[in-house]
Amino acid sequence: MNYKHLKKMIIVAVLLLLSTTAYALTADEVITRANQASYYAGKDGRATIKMTIKAKNGNERVREFTLLRLNAKNGDQKFYTYFKAPADVYKMAYLVWKNIDRDDDRWLWLPALNLKKRIAPGDKRTSFVGSDFLYEDVSGRSPEEDVHAMLSEEVGLYQIENIPKDPGSVEFSRYVVAVDAATFLPMRADYYDHSGQLYRQVEALQVETIQGFPTVTVAQAHDLVTGSVTRNEFSNIQYNIDLNPRIFTERFLRRPPREVK
Amino acid sequence: MKLALTEFSLKRPLWVILAVLIAVVLFALQFPQVKFDNDPENMLSADEPVRIFHHEVKEKYALYDFVIVGIVNEQHPSGVFNVATLNRIDTLTRQLLFLQRGETGKPEIVLPPQAGQPSGRLKLDLTPDSIWQKLLGHVFNHNPNQLFDDDGRSVIIGHELIAPSVVDNIKQAEFGSLKLEYLMEHPPQTEAQAQQIAADAMGNPLYHGTLVSEDQRAICLYIPITAKPYSYNVANLVRTLTADWPEEDRVLITGLPVAEDTFGVEMLIQMATSAPMAGVVIFLLLLMFFRNVSLIVAPMMVAVFSVVSAMGLLIGLGYDVHIMSSMIAIFLMPIAVADAVHILSEFFDSYHRFGNKAETIRCVIGHLFQPMLYTSLTTIAGFASLAFTPIPPVQVFGLHVAFGVAVAWLLSMTLIPAYIMLMVSEQKITQLSGRHEDHHLATPMSPLLALMGRISFRYSNIVVFITLVLLVVAGYGISRISVNDNPVKWFTPSHDIRVADAVLNEHFAGTYTAYLTFAEVSPDACNREEQRQLVRQRLRQRFGGQFPDGVARLEAKIEQLKVQQQHVGGCDVHQCFHSLYIEAQQIDTQIMAGWNLLADEINYLDPDGLTRERLQHELAGLEAEVAAEFQIELQILLEALAEGEDLNGEALMDQALLVCDSYTHNSFAGFVLEMEAEVSAPPFKQPRMLRYVEGLQDYLRQGGLVGKSSSAVDALKKATYELSYVAPPAEASREEQLEFAQRNQKQFAVPDTAAAVGQVFVQLEGMKKKDSLFHLVTRDYREVNLWIQLKSGDNRDMEAVVAQVDDYLHSHPAPIELKTRWAGLTYLNVVWQEKMVNGMLSSLLGSFVVVLVMMMLLFRSVLWGVLAMVPLTVTITLIYGIIGLVGKDYDMPVAVLSSLTLGLSVDFSIHFLQRARELERQLGSWAEACRKMFQEPARAITRNAITISVGFTPLLLAPLVPYKTVGFFLATIMAVSWLASLMVLPSLLTLMRRFVFRRPAPEDEI
Repeated sequence: MNYKHLKKMIIVAVLLLLSTTAYALTADEVITRANQASYYAGKDGRATIKMTIKAKNGNERVREFTLLRLNAKNGDQKFYTYFKAPADVYKMAYLVWKNIDRDDDRWLWLPALNLKKRIAPGDKRTSFVGSDFLYEDVSGRSPEEDVHAMLSEEVGLYQIENIPKDPGSVEFSRYVVAVDAATFLPMRADYYDHSGQLYRQVEALQVETIQGFPTVTVAQAHDLVTGSVTRNEFSNIQYNIDLNPRIFTERFLRRPPREVK
Repeated sequence: MKLALTEFSLKRPLWVILAVLIAVVLFALQFPQVKFDNDPENMLSADEPVRIFHHEVKEKYALYDFVIVGIVNEQHPSGVFNVATLNRIDTLTRQLLFLQRGETGKPEIVLPPQAGQPSGRLKLDLTPDSIWQKLLGHVFNHNPNQLFDDDGRSVIIGHELIAPSVVDNIKQAEFGSLKLEYLMEHPPQTEAQAQQIAADAMGNPLYHGTLVSEDQRAICLYIPITAKPYSYNVANLVRTLTADWPEEDRVLITGLPVAEDTFGVEMLIQMATSAPMAGVVIFLLLLMFFRNVSLIVAPMMVAVFSVVSAMGLLIGLGYDVHIMSSMIAIFLMPIAVADAVHILSEFFDSYHRFGNKAETIRCVIGHLFQPMLYTSLTTIAGFASLAFTPIPPVQVFGLHVAFGVAVAWLLSMTLIPAYIMLMVSEQKITQLSGRHEDHHLATPMSPLLALMGRISFRYSNIVVFITLVLLVVAGYGISRISVNDNPVKWFTPSHDIRVADAVLNEHFAGTYTAYLTFAEVSPDACNREEQRQLVRQRLRQRFGGQFPDGVARLEAKIEQLKVQQQHVGGCDVHQCFHSLYIEAQQIDTQIMAGWNLLADEINYLDPDGLTRERLQHELAGLEAEVAAEFQIELQILLEALAEGEDLNGEALMDQALLVCDSYTHNSFAGFVLEMEAEVSAPPFKQPRMLRYVEGLQDYLRQGGLVGKSSSAVDALKKATYELSYVAPPAEASREEQLEFAQRNQKQFAVPDTAAAVGQVFVQLEGMKKKDSLFHLVTRDYREVNLWIQLKSGDNRDMEAVVAQVDDYLHSHPAPIELKTRWAGLTYLNVVWQEKMVNGMLSSLLGSFVVVLVMMMLLFRSVLWGVLAMVPLTVTITLIYGIIGLVGKDYDMPVAVLSSLTLGLSVDFSIHFLQRARELERQLGSWAEACRKMFQEPARAITRNAITISVGFTPLLLAPLVPYKTVGFFLATIMAVSWLASLMVLPSLLTLMRRFVFRRPAPEDEI
């Protein structure tokens, strides 16, 4: 009997071994899936965002905008941002075409000046409308730009270190991102400057599953140098709403689509 | 009684000397805990309102103290805008940004690799090469490699650094797009790129004159540091990093923090050199007078011990050694030896009468006791009066010098007798005493003094007359005194800092900064009625003709809200506008719902190959319910489009939307939102307020005193211009191009509505260098900060600017009442200067009265008391007269001199009058007494005058102007008060002899 039993045990052990190797993802795979989970859920989507920028001295600036996203071919994406509050930026709009293999295209609409302006490609690691989030936080940083290494894998979190391939192009020397092993959403990213000091943190404070997609509904960016904190609260989240691709054209800057009103 | 101290010292000399030594050692033991403070800001006490406000402003607008590094190239035809220099500046910028603490605690620069840029590690050691400097650094606890805070972070605030490589630029790029990047995003590789950077910099009102000089020969880096005391080390770091730069790129470092900090460090060197030198000089002088080393060791001990006690007390009490207190040693030393010199002088002159040390000392101290007590008391009063100035370092200085003087007096009464008893043999004195007498006869001093005596006796009225004339002239001089100070001018003109200051201020709009802040007086005022008026007025203007019904409805709603609000007493503007908005939407639905629907539908059509027919077809083909909503509107549209039959595609769609817009732009809801933006805008999003600031800036520019002012308005105008810029088509004629340029230039202005302002500001908030806008305006746009640059740090010039701004604010009241306040180091200097002048004046008057009363008590006579004040009055008047006449600024050291004069020159009159009265009584005749006065007593006074003035001469060699000033004026003060005591006093006594010597006084006390 013992032989049989042993055989059984060996099979189970081998199976277990196989299954763990099958599930042990590499850092690259985790990052790819994280990128997918946080920026590509569904074929399109919509959310209303209440952004609160709180300065070190306690001053708060609140901005409210609706964001439309459409996934295009080859990982390209299109974003339409429409401002609702405060009153002075009402109807202000941004249009961004995120291009994987070349610079992004960006347009800006300032209704009070009756002005549409194209923004030349530039540094994506600049503040998004004066908040502590960067353009790159909103549209995603390409996994291709960093070298990823798994630091640890514990209590359902992958800790992954990311080192830029071109360190001169960014302000960080590395960042460590904690990816939820179940949802693959990045829960926290710690950025370190060139002298090794932690200077910036981005966190997902709340996650909900919407239409089957785990979704960050409260996110926060903290600038440790200036003490400024920005909190984004997402509401009215919808996926797969069949957005008309024409919404993401310059014409819809002047006359906003119904989907954002 | 008065001899008790001396008697004890004569009996127990060893005890006394031991006790003194122990006390001195105790004081000296405090020295190692010394802390230095070289921050002139501390001239104001920490709770001074203006200082608190200064820090509030720094905090609120994230402003820092700057080390200003100017790079000047006068040789290259393109100035600093050549490839090599710009690359050097870029490298320096990166080096400063990537400074970190190495493992040994020494600075290290670790540059990340970057295309075309050197990468790697640079280890630095900023320890000076000279052993002397190293030693000083060690003694004064100054670590030249200290560039990090306790947590090891660099003291350079990298993200706030102002340099071409890290400041924002907004400019036109290809295809009419707008580029947001750093001014020198990449260091140039070609001269053309270098020129482009120059053009960009010159096109930005925030940069030319600040970052880049108008002549393009210089660039300034502004290095923000966490605390002023690091500025000396940061300046040193920059010097080290640029040491290998070619000569044509001159690196000049300036800014108030560097000036102040450098002054502090050099002050330490001064202390370590001037005070010992003064000691040596005094020693040599005494040696010349007394020709015996063992004897003059006594007064030297008095001097050194009193300095050690005063400094020991200061350090022991926990005070920092400040610019003022660093002068304690040098002030105290010559004063401290004075009493000892008197005692020794008399001792020698009288020894031969007694032939016994103890007896001689008893006699000498016996008649010197009272004058010495009083001279010390008056000196103490003079310095102690500084305690009543409102400037903490001056208070500390005054009180500790006073303490030192008291110690010197005590030592003169005890240590000197004890020393003579113990260390000097009778034999030697006999020997010396004889020689001493001969020596006196041989010096030119005696005949000169005798001559002075004869003149003041015979020509007394002439002497008095000349004095009066001089006083009148001096009075005129005093009226011309100008109160002024400038920490940079504390350095001699050839000093690096002075040179850098001069050169940079020639190229730039000014390296001295002040901050002018505006805040609304009543931020919570709700002005509801005013706002309602505005809304009503605009409403009628815009819709009155076309939609009277809608206007009436909205007006009714406004009235209704007004009643409600009065009921509730609230003032929530947003709540009101929300109610209005809902009402307005309903009006819109009635008058333009169809047009809105139609426009939306058109918007979603595919413009590709769109024709009028297809447009009609697609719209008619919509669901019946939808189509029914805009049937009439569609008819109107199609009729309107019929005129341009040949339109199709995008153009047709544009035209169709334009027709819809002509109806939909009459949106009441849109109007309500516009009004909300307008009415609820904080002051500095309102065009009228921004234009007001712009007006003030224009006025300042024309006023000529301000080199440049920068504000959020400048940033706003530049951004509006770039955003609205329309490039002329490539084939445009010259005239068309000109037209375009003119049209674009018109946009270099404050936009017309609050919403437009708000939208442009949002763009500025999101520039590459985040939050740089908020150095100039608060995040809530309720307060603004004007960065004022001055070419001169003279308080006088700063005051003139303040007056200019006041004038403008009076003649041009702001649309919303504003609270105006100043901050910035240049302004702080004005405030403490003002306090100092007033403080010094009242302390001088106070101590004058105190000394006068003391003199009346001493001489038991009002008349004699007043007489005693004559020499010091004459001296102070003449000295300040000279200062006014030669145009020397009344600055900190000059102010302190007044109390010194008071304390010192009254000494001479005390000695003189005391002896004169005594002699007159002994001899029964003033003529006889006067002759005698100009022998031994005059000699003692002269000796003292010479000792003190010569004792201060090492100060003349100092590289720091305040020390020089003190040295020079002390010599002058001594000369004048010596003359006043020896010429004016005897002349007055001669003229008034009937009154002053009226009663043969019976007191034997005096």
